[in-house]
Amino acid sequence: MHELVQAIILGILVGGIYALMASGLTLVFGIMKVINVAQGALVILAAYLSYALFSHLHIDPFLSILIVTPAMFVLGVAVQLVFVRSLRGPDGSELSLLVTWALALGIEGVLSVIFKTNFRVTSPSYADNSWSIFGYQVSEVRVLAFVASAVLLLALSLLLTRTRFGRAVRATVQNPTAATLLGVDANRVQTLSFGLGVSMAAAAGAVYGVIYPFNPGSHYDLISRLLSIVVLGGLGSLGGAVFAALAMGVIEAIVAVKISPVWSSFSFFVVLITFLLVRPQGIFGVRERVL
Amino acid sequence: MSRATAAGLARGGAFAAAGIAFPFVFNQAWIVNIGVLTLMYAALATAWNLFSGYTGYITLGQAAFFGLGAYTLGITFQHFGIGSGYNPFYALPLVGAGIAIASLPIAWIALRTRHMTFAIVTLTLLFIVQQLAFNLRSLTKGSTGLMLPTPHFAIDSYDTPFYLAMLAILLAGLSLCWLILRSKLGLMLLAIREDEEKARGLGIRVTGAKLIAWWLMVWLSAMVGGVWAYYLTFIYPESSVDPLVMIGAVLMTFLGGRGTLWGPTVGALVLVPAQQYMITKLGASRLYLVGYAAVFMVVLLLLPRGILPSLRSAIDAQRERRRTHREPRVREEAHA
Amino acid sequence: MTRKTLARLAALSGAAALAAVVAAAGSAAPTKGSAGPIKIGISLSLSGDFSDPGKFAQQGYKLWANTVNAKGGILGRKVQLIIQDDASSPTQAATNYQNFITKNKVDLVFGPFSTLLTAPSAAVANRYGYAFIEPAGGGPAVFDQKLHNVFFTQPAPVVESGDVFAKWIISLPKSVRPKTAAYPALDDPFSSPIADRMRGMLEKAGIKTVYKTIYASETVDMTPIISKIAAAKPDLVVGGTQAGDGYSIVKAMVQAKFSPKFLFLSNGPNSPGEFPSKVGAKNVNGIFSASDWFPQAKTPGNPAFVKAYLKAYGGTAAAIDPGSAEAYAVGQVVEALAARIHSIDNKKVIAALHSGTWPTVEGTLHWNAIGEPQGQELLMEWQGGKLNPVLPAGVATSKPTYPKPGWGK
Repeated sequence: MHELVQAIILGILVGGIYALMASGLTLVFGIMKVINVAQGALVILAAYLSYALFSHLHIDPFLSILIVTPAMFVLGVAVQLVFVRSLRGPDGSELSLLVTWALALGIEGVLSVIFKTNFRVTSPSYADNSWSIFGYQVSEVRVLAFVASAVLLLALSLLLTRTRFGRAVRATVQNPTAATLLGVDANRVQTLSFGLGVSMAAAAGAVYGVIYPFNPGSHYDLISRLLSIVVLGGLGSLGGAVFAALAMGVIEAIVAVKISPVWSSFSFFVVLITFLLVRPQGIFGVRERVL
Repeated sequence: MSRATAAGLARGGAFAAAGIAFPFVFNQAWIVNIGVLTLMYAALATAWNLFSGYTGYITLGQAAFFGLGAYTLGITFQHFGIGSGYNPFYALPLVGAGIAIASLPIAWIALRTRHMTFAIVTLTLLFIVQQLAFNLRSLTKGSTGLMLPTPHFAIDSYDTPFYLAMLAILLAGLSLCWLILRSKLGLMLLAIREDEEKARGLGIRVTGAKLIAWWLMVWLSAMVGGVWAYYLTFIYPESSVDPLVMIGAVLMTFLGGRGTLWGPTVGALVLVPAQQYMITKLGASRLYLVGYAAVFMVVLLLLPRGILPSLRSAIDAQRERRRTHREPRVREEAHA
Repeated sequence: MTRKTLARLAALSGAAALAAVVAAAGSAAPTKGSAGPIKIGISLSLSGDFSDPGKFAQQGYKLWANTVNAKGGILGRKVQLIIQDDASSPTQAATNYQNFITKNKVDLVFGPFSTLLTAPSAAVANRYGYAFIEPAGGGPAVFDQKLHNVFFTQPAPVVESGDVFAKWIISLPKSVRPKTAAYPALDDPFSSPIADRMRGMLEKAGIKTVYKTIYASETVDMTPIISKIAAAKPDLVVGGTQAGDGYSIVKAMVQAKFSPKFLFLSNGPNSPGEFPSKVGAKNVNGIFSASDWFPQAKTPGNPAFVKAYLKAYGGTAAAIDPGSAEAYAVGQVVEALAARIHSIDNKKVIAALHSGTWPTVEGTLHWNAIGEPQGQELLMEWQGGKLNPVLPAGVATSKPTYPKPGWGK
């Protein structure tokens, strides 16, 4: 029982960070029907940026979120303008899948030239501290990472529900044509949202690097999880992504302690396939229209 | 037989004859080796195109079936002893068919989802198969890797049987595509690609049509994986279920022209020798992956329709121009 | 008409591509004579997953070639290395060796980096009767092929890396010997087999296994595993690890405030340059690991190697990766061959290497029929913030200490 509770605590803490990464992915899909396969590579890129800031300028990784996130927002806007925007037409969304895949390979290639392929981890002085709560060991950085993710997710949802920009975004998600008729500048909304999606990856990457060792190839594993999360949650659904991320964290942690760590990510993939048998549109998704 | 049919058969026959003659004309081992790799990618790209090019559903899971083919052959060697020499080649169509049949239930679930979700679910298959290869160690030897017996072919022409096997699979794939394109199934797939809802409304059995194309894609991919494993004699999970191999095949399909008959083969004929040449010339730089991504990006953004369709429209435009050029002259003559 | 043109264009572009390749071959103009340089083909992972270790091997190979050429070469001929990238792909590695042998007509081939690339490459070399002296393919996959042309230039096969530690544990007096042990291991051909083998030896000696598990290479989170181990309270933890997961295990143990009496990790702690910075310099003491080489070793030619390395690449002796020494050792074997049999003919080379002993920076090596070296790995321990060889007694600079101090001491 103790072990199970410990696993659930861990799973929720881990799930929170994945929720932050997945939020950007699902937001971008909701608005422009583009799956950004490079989201994982962008998380790793941000992890390296935060690592570099920490090891050269001694900037605390949690503080570096404030630097990395705006920088990656700009990068995201640039990526949208250069690579994604030109993909129009009936095959646009399918092509975007491959274009962002190529982008992911490019990022991986550049990172392995600059940083080599050995594993890095950002280790601030408090990285090894942990709290004992009712006999459960809880790592400080994990709690901090979870809190940071939760705060950012809350900020994102406030941005989407309480601001003019957010209303424009939601209108575009629900009905792009009507939104344009109502005076929403669709191009601007798409570009800014793509940047926003990438900044979510950036913030998550900065905290990811504190918790896990990473190398340029780590993005394959990340993106496979992230894509499964957004599909399980329902493409385009923010709440679905958060729920699915937490579910993944908990399922994987329980399988790791109860069965074997080698089957943990496998079990999540199987849950996904089984679930799609019942509900092809994911938990909170609406059935994808044929474009 | 119509003229188009005759021309098609002649083209296919010429390609097959040239393909068969190649390893006997250029019989140096290293050239035949490049030939094996080129045909491997051509066959994979043709298989990918058969499903994704014709239905419009992008699958990112092809590497899973390549890997299943490789492992099934390896495991069969390990546990049942299917002989050596040429025998494994004859077993391959059956191995591929078995894998393809086994994949149908999964395909049926995946095909309940629409385009983007489908692409992601098939990508998930890739990771599932890779993890099975890691975890079912009593069958696959896990991460240690599985050794296949080395066949005792004559050293001077050691690569030729593998070359011919890959060529046979490619020709099978091309023939299937050719037949599909001029059959009712081809029309059904085309209708799905254009507008699936409408096709369904018209009473077309869309799921059945998609499943047939899927089955053929898996059958071909698994056979290619089997030949590759036998050729290399050593397989392990990351190399057998390698997203880069599949993305290579996709890139070649896009370069040559997806949805066309010869496009994937053209793409492979251009890219594989080019890649080998680059590795020989720029071997020591670490920029391989960056270069790969750049080529991919250029193809997708600047040549999204591929070489063959672009060439065709260029030629059509040229002819159009020539005709409009000629027409005024005709009118002038009439005036005169 | 259009269609026919297209088909012709397709055929043309294919032919052009092939012509380019054939032309490239022609320009290489392979000549095999005793007058020119000795050509040696090496496929290395200069990009992809194995590119870091590939780089270290490249340094070792190049250093050896430059050193030997400065002395006038081998058998009166200069050495010329032909190094090609395999992008960490076994298909490309096998292709590269096929090119070296049938296109470049090299005199010798040396091994690539990693067991996973060595296994198919060694098979290609074997097909053409080439000796395959290799620095890094020490995993079971390579030796399972039972090839007669393979020679691995490290003191022992990778599986046996933990033998010295296990034997030492068994030799301890009953009162201090650990009674229980846990075995986390990475699912990797160089890691879990080590832990499996050690578990077999230790269980036979009566040390009870309280926990064992295998985790996947993408398992970035060691916390669940470590919390299970901490709950089982073993005296000894043996980890079959690579670098990244080795660091994670130590970090997770520190977080869980669990410090076993004995801790052995097959890889990770044996990287003196990185380990302290990854887990915290105060957490390293008392941790054991295995290694095949260390900078202060008095093995044949080692002081000269270290000196030449520092001159060529700079840095400190402690930061030299064993991968460079392993590759350098391959060259030393060839040098010794030339002196002993005055030939680099592959048939003679293979026959010669199956008998006698061969002096290298990795120690004096000798092999069995399938290329497994018959020596012992080194046991390393962190003592006072330094990584010292503690066994075997002949090469150790200090004695192993126990039990391991708590974290931060």
